[in-house]
Amino acid sequence: MNEMQFLTWVRGTGLNIAVGIFLLGVIWRLIEIYSLGRKKDLSAPRNVPGASGWHTVFRRSMPPKDMGMVKKSPVSYIGGYVFHIGLAVVVFLFAPHIKFIESVVGLSWPGLPSQFVDLVAVITIAAMVVVLADRINKPVKRYLSTFEDWFTWTVTFLPVLTGWMAVQHLLLPYTTMLALHILSVEILLVVLPFTKLFHAFTVWGSRYYNGAVNGHKGVAV
Amino acid sequence: MSLADIPVIQGVASSLTGNAPILLREIAEHLRRLLDCGETAAIDLQALPLTPADRAWLRERLGNGEIRVALEAEGQSTLEETGCQGVWWVTHHNEKGAVVSEFIETAFVPELVKAHPDDVQSGLEHLELLISDLC
Amino acid sequence: MQGPLIDTLARYGVSRRSFLKYCATLASMMALPPSAGRAMAEAMAAAPAAAKRPSVIWLPFQECTGCTESITRSHSPSIEGMIFDMVSLDYQETLMAAAGHQAEEALHNAMKENEGKYLLIVDGSVPLGLDGAYSCIAGKSNLEALKEVAKGAAAIVAMGSCAAYGGIPKANPNPTGAVSVSDVIKDKPIINIPGCPPIPVVMTGVLAHFLTFGSLPEMDKLGRPKAFYGETIHDRCYRRPFYDQGKFAKTFDDEGARKGWCLFELGCKGPVTYNACATVKWNGGTSWPVESGHGCLGCSEPDFWDGGGFYKALSMPADPLKVVAGAVAVGAAAGVAVSFANRAKKSGAKGGHETTTLADLEK
Repeated sequence: MNEMQFLTWVRGTGLNIAVGIFLLGVIWRLIEIYSLGRKKDLSAPRNVPGASGWHTVFRRSMPPKDMGMVKKSPVSYIGGYVFHIGLAVVVFLFAPHIKFIESVVGLSWPGLPSQFVDLVAVITIAAMVVVLADRINKPVKRYLSTFEDWFTWTVTFLPVLTGWMAVQHLLLPYTTMLALHILSVEILLVVLPFTKLFHAFTVWGSRYYNGAVNGHKGVAV
Repeated sequence: MSLADIPVIQGVASSLTGNAPILLREIAEHLRRLLDCGETAAIDLQALPLTPADRAWLRERLGNGEIRVALEAEGQSTLEETGCQGVWWVTHHNEKGAVVSEFIETAFVPELVKAHPDDVQSGLEHLELLISDLC
Repeated sequence: MQGPLIDTLARYGVSRRSFLKYCATLASMMALPPSAGRAMAEAMAAAPAAAKRPSVIWLPFQECTGCTESITRSHSPSIEGMIFDMVSLDYQETLMAAAGHQAEEALHNAMKENEGKYLLIVDGSVPLGLDGAYSCIAGKSNLEALKEVAKGAAAIVAMGSCAAYGGIPKANPNPTGAVSVSDVIKDKPIINIPGCPPIPVVMTGVLAHFLTFGSLPEMDKLGRPKAFYGETIHDRCYRRPFYDQGKFAKTFDDEGARKGWCLFELGCKGPVTYNACATVKWNGGTSWPVESGHGCLGCSEPDFWDGGGFYKALSMPADPLKVVAGAVAVGAAAGVAVSFANRAKKSGAKGGHETTTLADLEK
């Protein structure tokens, strides 16, 4: 298989397989999670649980008033923010990516100049490396880390790295790098529903749930 | 029907990209080297991502000098000294008049203008032939 | 700078300055630094004069003659023509006067007389299906002819994408079982000059190299001369700045298209296509596909025909996603099945629930 055939494969068959597994996994997990159900809570709610749930969804995206976690674990907090926002910019505001999304779901929006996206990609890569170094350096974090943590970091990091390297023409010819980039995204798609990366889908729901339960118990936030 | 009737904006890619001003610095660097150690240099304009507007901008900024050499060899070539002495704008055309290559050269006199000793030799031989025909 | 070539040129009425100009242009086209033009001129001029013009045999297989059409339109006829004059083109069906038995005789004479020294140029792919019956010359299949002529060749030039990579005849489903020259011949130096058709000056550049140095120029992984195929169309495209600014033509007749913006979204394969069109251009430097408003098809890349559609952006799926509905259905089914299993487990646990007795607490 030459590099052009490799590229065509990842754009065709490979993408089909990856999107298939991704959709299958996402639907499966969502149905499974939301159909779990709970035993009916017979206690009377102390506060309005719904409002607390909605509040939590937003509140947890803001730094706390006393800056507790920002001060205690600045690398995780700030690094986490930087790379999540960076990922969103790179994934959703780079013109070729928008073109891909448009061709798949039909929605499109204006992109950013590629130099700017390039800068954001570099910042994202740096933030991810810093977050990883922090995980390795801090004994507690290292102790708490399982294979899944290292693995999901890698499959998230590779698409950014290969994409940036493809644009910058580093190491390998553009064709090969582009194919590797698409392949790494496909691996991410396949892995996402079955690992902790599924938080991309469950983060808001679980925040609402936590807030609602707490509100119900009287800890309105 | 003339070209004006076709609803297409002529001179596509006519906006400035910002690549031309950078070239001015490179040319200045080449000129410095020419002054310091007599080293000539050339910039291949076709190898750079320049729009026609960029080229026009560059040509206009460099301005026109006093010398303009026209070379008739497999189509016309022009070697024009720009307003900056020592900077030459070299354009090679083919027989049909299309531009085949374009360079900015930094030299006291572009190499192409000078006659090669071998050619001068044949020139001399030709001249001697003319003289011998006289008597 | 002096040598036999300069003398030869002088005999043809080509001045030293013309030659220098040609070399400067060739260097520019080969994407070499301007200083290389002079170096090349000196090297070429210093090459020893061949006592006899090197023999060139040109075999046409499954092809459309577009490559020959392209080569005969070299943009600088006198100098490039001179380079062709420096070889003896002993067999070229389209251009030769002889036909039938005489043509075959010329071929065999050339092969015999120049055994081990001639340059073989091939255009077109080699069909392997039905024992090669899809394409025959003088009762011989292309496969047979190629093997026979290649045996005595010093080097082989695979002209055009068909000879280099199989090209359009090899496109899915490849009814004739077409393969490239390098798929058949393994023991000879082969250089690929892909393109549909290839750029004329690439041919003369390679020929000039072979004449000067007696060898093939430096090649990339796909057997192409690095000088011409070293960079992508995209990297040398004059529309590249618009790509970087995120300015794209969305259709072939919108405002962006008229302003000459990037054609990436209209399916341009420039980013993954290695060729010299952006610098050398076509038809004597008149224009080239992207300049005339159409994206690059990627014709100098292997299997460009099956690359997922000419008008699909590179970042778009090559095939329509077929599995979406199926995947959603299977995922839903799996989700429902698992949730039923979970509920069964839960009710099982509930059913197995026992009331704590005093005896338990005393245990």
